[in-house]
Order: sequence, then C-alpha cells, then structure tokens
Amino acid sequence: MKSHRRIQFAVLTLITMMWMPMHAWAEAEDKWDVLKEAFFAGKTVENAPELIRLEAPRRAESGAQVPLSFSIEQALTADHYFKNVYVLVGVNPVPLVGIFHFTPASGKAAISTRIRLERDSYIHVVAEDNHGKLYMNAVPVRAAGGCGGTVEGDEQAIRAEAGKMKLSVNAPVRPGEINQGKLLIKHPMYTGLQRDLVSQGFRPAFFANKAIVKLHGETVLAADLAIGMSEDPNIQFSFIADTPGEMEVEVQDNEGGVFKKSIQVNG
Amino acid sequence: MHIMKTVWLITLVALVQGYAIAAPLPVKQVAAGIYVHQGVHEDFDEDYHGDIANIGFIVGKEAVAVIDTGGYIMVGTALREAIRAVTDLPIRYVINTHVHPDHIFGNAAFSADKPIYVGHYKLAATMQQRAESYLRNLQAQLGKEAEGSTILPPTLLVEDVTTLDLGGRKLELQAWPTAHTNNDLSIRDTATDTLWLSDLLFIERTPSIDGDIKGWLKVIEELRKADAKLTIPGHGQVTLNKNVALDNQRRYLQTLLDDVRASIKKGESMSDTMNSAAQSENKSWILFDSINRRNVNIIYPQLEWE
Repeated sequence: MKSHRRIQFAVLTLITMMWMPMHAWAEAEDKWDVLKEAFFAGKTVENAPELIRLEAPRRAESGAQVPLSFSIEQALTADHYFKNVYVLVGVNPVPLVGIFHFTPASGKAAISTRIRLERDSYIHVVAEDNHGKLYMNAVPVRAAGGCGGTVEGDEQAIRAEAGKMKLSVNAPVRPGEINQGKLLIKHPMYTGLQRDLVSQGFRPAFFANKAIVKLHGETVLAADLAIGMSEDPNIQFSFIADTPGEMEVEVQDNEGGVFKKSIQVNG
Repeated sequence: MHIMKTVWLITLVALVQGYAIAAPLPVKQVAAGIYVHQGVHEDFDEDYHGDIANIGFIVGKEAVAVIDTGGYIMVGTALREAIRAVTDLPIRYVINTHVHPDHIFGNAAFSADKPIYVGHYKLAATMQQRAESYLRNLQAQLGKEAEGSTILPPTLLVEDVTTLDLGGRKLELQAWPTAHTNNDLSIRDTATDTLWLSDLLFIERTPSIDGDIKGWLKVIEELRKADAKLTIPGHGQVTLNKNVALDNQRRYLQTLLDDVRASIKKGESMSDTMNSAAQSENKSWILFDSINRRNVNIIYPQLEWE
C-alpha cells in the first residue's frame, strides 16, 4: 500500500511540475560546495547568520545593479577585527566579486554596494577575523543578465571619465563614534563579456581592482575589486573619526591607472 | 484511475490551448485599413505569456506592412492568420518599432513571405547584442513554446525619416534619439492621420525605461507638437487624445526624475528610493510596483553623477 501511495505522489508531483510555468522551479543555485573548495579548501567555515547580517532584494530589478549590504555585528578592536570579508556569487563567470579589508579604525565591518548577478544565485559573504577564523552567511537573489549585454557609448569618452570620484561623509561627523562615508567611482567595470555596440567584438575587461580609504593616514577600508562590481562602483563604508583630518582615497584599475581624491573631515 | 483521468484532462486542455493559439489573432480595425491587436497587461517576471504588446498591420492597395510581431513565434503566426483573413496582398514590410522581446519575437512567422524587415538604424546592433539573453529569458518564461522564436534583424534601417509605399498609401517612419530605448521608431499613416507611437507612449501600463528618461521627456515635447487624429500606443488602448496620454506619461516620468534626484540629494539609498519614488503615481498605472522599482534601479545609478 505504502509504495503504491508513493508512486501516486510521484506522478502527481510530476504532473504539477509539468503544469507549472518554467520559472517557478528555476531556483537560485547555492554552489557553496564549489566556492568552499575554491576559496577555503581544508578550512572550517562556521555558518553565522546572526553574526553576518545581509540585505539584498529577493528579486533584483536589474542584474547589472543589485544592491547588497553586509554588516558584521561585532565591535572591531585592536585584538579582534575582521581583516577579510569575501563577497561571492557562485553563478557569475568570475565568482569573487570583491574582498573588503577592515581595521579597528573602520569602527564596523559593514559595506553597502551594488553588484552584478548573471542569473538567479545565492550571494555568499565570508568573514575572516584576524585570527584566521571563518564565518559565512548567504542570501538568495533572483536576477538576470548582469555580466554580459550591451555596452554603449564612445570608448574614448568613457576612458577619459574613468577614475573620477565623489567622496562624501554623513554630516555632522560624530567624534569617537561610527560614521558613514560614501565613495563613488566613475569606471565602466567592463567584464570582458560585453559586446561593443558598433564593432560587435568583445570589449576587453577594464575595471577598478583596488580602493583604499585612509583617515589621518590610517586605513579605514581597503578593497580588492573584480568585474562582479557594478559599473560606476558605489561603496558605502564606516569609519571612526577622533579629530579633524584629511580623508584620502586611492583607486587603481587593471590597466595601471591610479586615481586619488581627498576631502577634509571634521572630527 | 483517478490519476489517469487527471492526465487526460491536462492533455485535453493543452491541446485546446494549442489550437486556440494557432487561430487568427483578434484584431480591430481602428481606422481604414489599420488593424490593431491589443496585448494584455502582464509583467515579464510573473506569469508572462508572450502577448502583452500592441501589434498589427496596415493594408495598402498593393501590399501590407506588419507593425511588430509579438512576444513569440505563435503570436506572429496568429497575426499572419489575421492578415490573411482580411487580404491576400503580399506582406512587403515587417516593421519593428524597437528591440523589446514582446515586439520582435514573432518576426520569423513571416520569413516565408520574404518581406523587408525595417527598423531604427541602431536596432540591428542592439538586437544582436541582446539576442543571447533575450532567447535565454524567453526559454525560461515560455519553455517549449519559445521554440522557433528567433531574432531577425532589420535590413532596411531608418536613419531619420523614411517613407514606405504600400500602393496609394504612404507610411512615414521616423527614428528618434534615445528615449524609451536607443532604437525607437514611430510610424505615421498619412492617409488616415494615424500616429503609431508604440512604446514611445504607454497608456494604462506603467512606462518602462530602458533608454534615457531625460531623452524621453524631450521626445514627448516633440510628439506633443505632432498632428494626429488617432494614436496607437505600445500598450493600452488606442486613443483620440494623444496629448492627454502624453501628458500623463510626462507627469509620471517627471515625478520619477524629480523624486530620484531629491533622494540622491538627501543621501537615501537606492533600495529605499525604489520604495518611495513616484509613489503619488501608484494608483494611476497598472503593474506599478514592479516596473517603477525597475525604473529606479536603472536611473538612480545614472543620476548619481549629475
């Protein structure tokens, strides 16, 4: 009797599946096994949904500009801080989107930014503390077409603009507390997988691969970036300001371009 | 026994549906010799069945021009059936008003007629670039039904204004600067003073931006000056009041532009802006939540650099 019912159930499930539209069962791929093996082979990675808070839309409106925020809910001190936070998208042609490096001067290991998703995927965020311990959380997002598609516009004009920056901090800056800064980088972030509108050939990869923010000469954020970051990267970060001083940013790209910008911060 | 009955019922329903799709597409003659099929308002992400756009044809003394072909091959085939129910004249032109999949994926249904495919001068290149992702999306949306729907680029490209002759009937095709997309084309039928704006004008359905919101607002100003007895939008009902419809659309786009600019100035995040921008327009449009959020996602990163 039992096996008969099981068959009945299987047939019904099959019929239901056939009856549902395709997209209803095209679920986000996890790919954690592959990512774990590629980036953290032989290491223990603790599942830490309480420690790593993630914010991303369940369904992204555009695969090219998917908003993502992560925040590690633990104070950063000289003895304990998070030196590397990896953002990974398993289904992307290049899964490593970026690695964000924090210091005690960061105040908080938290970033808001925008990334690319080629199709439905989990976004995995892995935090490594200064003792080498690893923590992970993940969030599924439905999205499409973030890495390929069209590139328009005059190549020379786009290159001439690349490296321009906007740097700002939330006013008023509160001394000794955690403050918010925002860095906008004008850069096409060509993935190498996009076709040129005129020539129809692929435009070679051209992207910002490093951003370093310093206050009083001390690093508050360093980031290694890759093609999974959206065009014109937008990075919001935290910092602690004790006294007024200069905030400096240096951005580098994969063709050796170096771009700098600084502002005065009242602390 | 019960299961077999269910299987039969499902097969039967599928057969009937398949048959229904091959029948002539319902069209309405909105002016002498101008036939329009009005698509239904469905989102691309949720329950999309490939028949959301307004498409149709214009009949001259010697030939027929098709204007857009629907979201997959069967819609194109059914449109061809609708033409043959009206006239036996040759189908000389298949005009695509822009690149979007709900307007072009029925193109292949007319291959055997060997028509001249016509579009904006940027259409062919944009089609080729998007072909891969459009085909992949269609497969995900429609499954087996997507088979046979292909990207067929235009061979006659409109740079500025081109006139097509259907025999005693002239169509003026105009290519626009980047607005709804970077390849928008409008068609004027001089015989009846009808303006086929396609997705340069949305009625009822929330306008979606894939080009340049500021460019679109400029084009709207130009379109307001054009004379037309009858205007055919890309979505929604055919209208006698072109400028009322254009003003509605302008109000939405201007509100959206102003709100997103204000959010950026205040330092509100893109995610928050998706929920707040243009909410005063929410009740005026269909599918507002999903399309408006997508619009914010597209224009916010651009406007941050103003």
